[in-house]
Amino acid sequence: MRILIVEDDLEAADAMERGLSEVGNACIRAADGEAGLTAARDSEFDVMIVDRMMPKMNGVELIETLRREGDQTPVLFLSALGEVGDRVAGLQAGGDDYLVKPYAFAELIARVEALARRRETGSVQTLLRVGALEMDLIGRTVHRDGKEIDLQPREFQLLEFMMRHAGQSVTRTMLLEKVWEYHFDPQTNVIDVHISRLRSKIDKGFERAMLQTVRGAGYRLDA
Amino acid sequence: MRLPRIFRTTPFRLTVLFLALFASAAMGLLAYIYVATAGEATRRTDEDITREMHSLVAAYGRAGVDGVNQSVIERAASERPFLYVLMGADRKRISGSIAESPVDNVSGAPTWTTFSVTDQDSQGHTVKHPARGLQQQLGAGPILFVGSDVGGDEAYLARVVGALQGAGALVVVLGLAGGVLMSRNVTRSMFSLTEVVDAVRNGDLSVRAQVRGTRDEFDELASGVNEMLDRLERSMAGHRHAGDAIAHDLRSPLTRLRARLEVAYLDVEAGKGDPTQALAQALEDTDGVMKTFSAVLAIARLQAAGTAPDPVLFDPSELAANISELYAPLCEDKGIDFGVELSQNLQARGNREFLAQALANILDNAVKYTPSGGAIMLRVRRRSSGEIEFSVTDTGPGVPDADRERVVQRFLRLENSRNQPGAGLGLSLVAAVAEAHGGRLELAEGPGRVGEIGPGLRVALVLPRPA
Repeated sequence: MRILIVEDDLEAADAMERGLSEVGNACIRAADGEAGLTAARDSEFDVMIVDRMMPKMNGVELIETLRREGDQTPVLFLSALGEVGDRVAGLQAGGDDYLVKPYAFAELIARVEALARRRETGSVQTLLRVGALEMDLIGRTVHRDGKEIDLQPREFQLLEFMMRHAGQSVTRTMLLEKVWEYHFDPQTNVIDVHISRLRSKIDKGFERAMLQTVRGAGYRLDA
Repeated sequence: MRLPRIFRTTPFRLTVLFLALFASAAMGLLAYIYVATAGEATRRTDEDITREMHSLVAAYGRAGVDGVNQSVIERAASERPFLYVLMGADRKRISGSIAESPVDNVSGAPTWTTFSVTDQDSQGHTVKHPARGLQQQLGAGPILFVGSDVGGDEAYLARVVGALQGAGALVVVLGLAGGVLMSRNVTRSMFSLTEVVDAVRNGDLSVRAQVRGTRDEFDELASGVNEMLDRLERSMAGHRHAGDAIAHDLRSPLTRLRARLEVAYLDVEAGKGDPTQALAQALEDTDGVMKTFSAVLAIARLQAAGTAPDPVLFDPSELAANISELYAPLCEDKGIDFGVELSQNLQARGNREFLAQALANILDNAVKYTPSGGAIMLRVRRRSSGEIEFSVTDTGPGVPDADRERVVQRFLRLENSRNQPGAGLGLSLVAAVAEAHGGRLELAEGPGRVGEIGPGLRVALVLPRPA
């Protein structure tokens, strides 16, 4: 993937570039909003990581400008501000996801991958398939190896999200945000319990476990 | 040199300013009265003298020097208020009513003269009065002087001037005294406020200005200042608490983190051991630190803002249902009986995000402290007061009576929960969310003690009735 990092904190940008390059991405860096705008206009990227607070042109202005010019590259906002209003403002400006500093690196990578993936599957799907797992989005049914799996509505949503991001790590925070639409970190392992229920339904009695725990990151659904 | 305090007060300065303005106006008025009075008296005397002169000149015209002399003698003997002197052309006195000879060089035309006339007062003392008169040479012959004792007029005018001066002095004295009195009054009213400001400047936020109940502008100012101080004190306490919380909740994990990294570093340097385990642990510690950090930050922000951002009308039962759905499996796994009782058709106003988090924190706490085999009940109802109440009752160890208020008020951790990190901050956030919504956090005893279990805790987040 080609990733544009627009971040004025050079050390943070360094760490980001190293981490993202290590998992096979090509990173271009810009140290302020104007440089970011030039870089974004110059070439195509799969994802842009944009700090909200920057000299010359802040992240929100940068993305508003790019969106006006028709650039639809997925954007992950980084911000030291974590209030509800800040996130809403970032998303309204055309950001696709929002991550508050300080963040865990696994969280950043998971979100970047999720953003890049979302772009690939632009068309409306009615059937999701991951390996032997099939989800009918119209009939609200799930089958594995042809055997129907009975899921509660929330479990269905959870699995749908996992299937849409199959092969990628998704974090607990992402699940809480995207499936439950809560933007806070619970003290307890509520998400783990939901995952383990889902796991027992889709993996129990089958030879191979599809729903994997990724240490230090979250979960991954493998084909 | 600094003036005494009372002279530096605004009311006093204003008084002096107004006094100066008033005194100037009064002086102008008095000066006009003086000029009008004095001028009028002189003018009338002069008219009378001129008329008398005319009549004597007419007598001269009719009967010559003798005629005038006759008239002067007659008139001098009469009660007429005039002074007469008749002299011959050789300046020899012919007749007259006064001893003085106020006549100086006469060139023919009538001339006014001012002089002193000798008189005797009621005690027989010789006194001099100011006098004024007209002298005229009659034809080429005798010189006639007609005058008037203006001592009475002058004395009257002197009295007027004296009265005016006295009045002026009285105005100034009364004005200054009034100014001092007013200043003292206002200063006394301001004094308590000044004291409060001084105390606050010296760091004491607990002082309050006295509200006297007169409902004047000073009372308004005093209660305004008091409200401001209340809010400031709360906010400062919040910040101090946030600082304490950061220190308390971050110090131990940071110390642990540092120690772990140090040990790993030493191990690697000595060429023994695999640092992966230590690093993984360090990462986990960091996550904990970050969680604490964002919780403290959220609390500080809410307390600083004072109100919840982006409030909306929503169904509190629906919010609770969503949260309960998130926590139900957790309770089931822990062997806790989780019950939910939601009243229908309720409305509340607030920030859903914060309220959901507050409710999640309460449930987190309940799950954490309720042993397996216990129960948790989540209720949403409308109190008879119209307030909306979210309550979570558990069968955990509860909070001792004496500590409940402390837990709510000062968000302190309980001694026995020290080994369960984050509990203090969890409820702190709930309290901050409640306060930001104009509501409150209430702690009460749970269902009571049954054997080893209980007495439990009932945590209620109460929101005001939506307007």
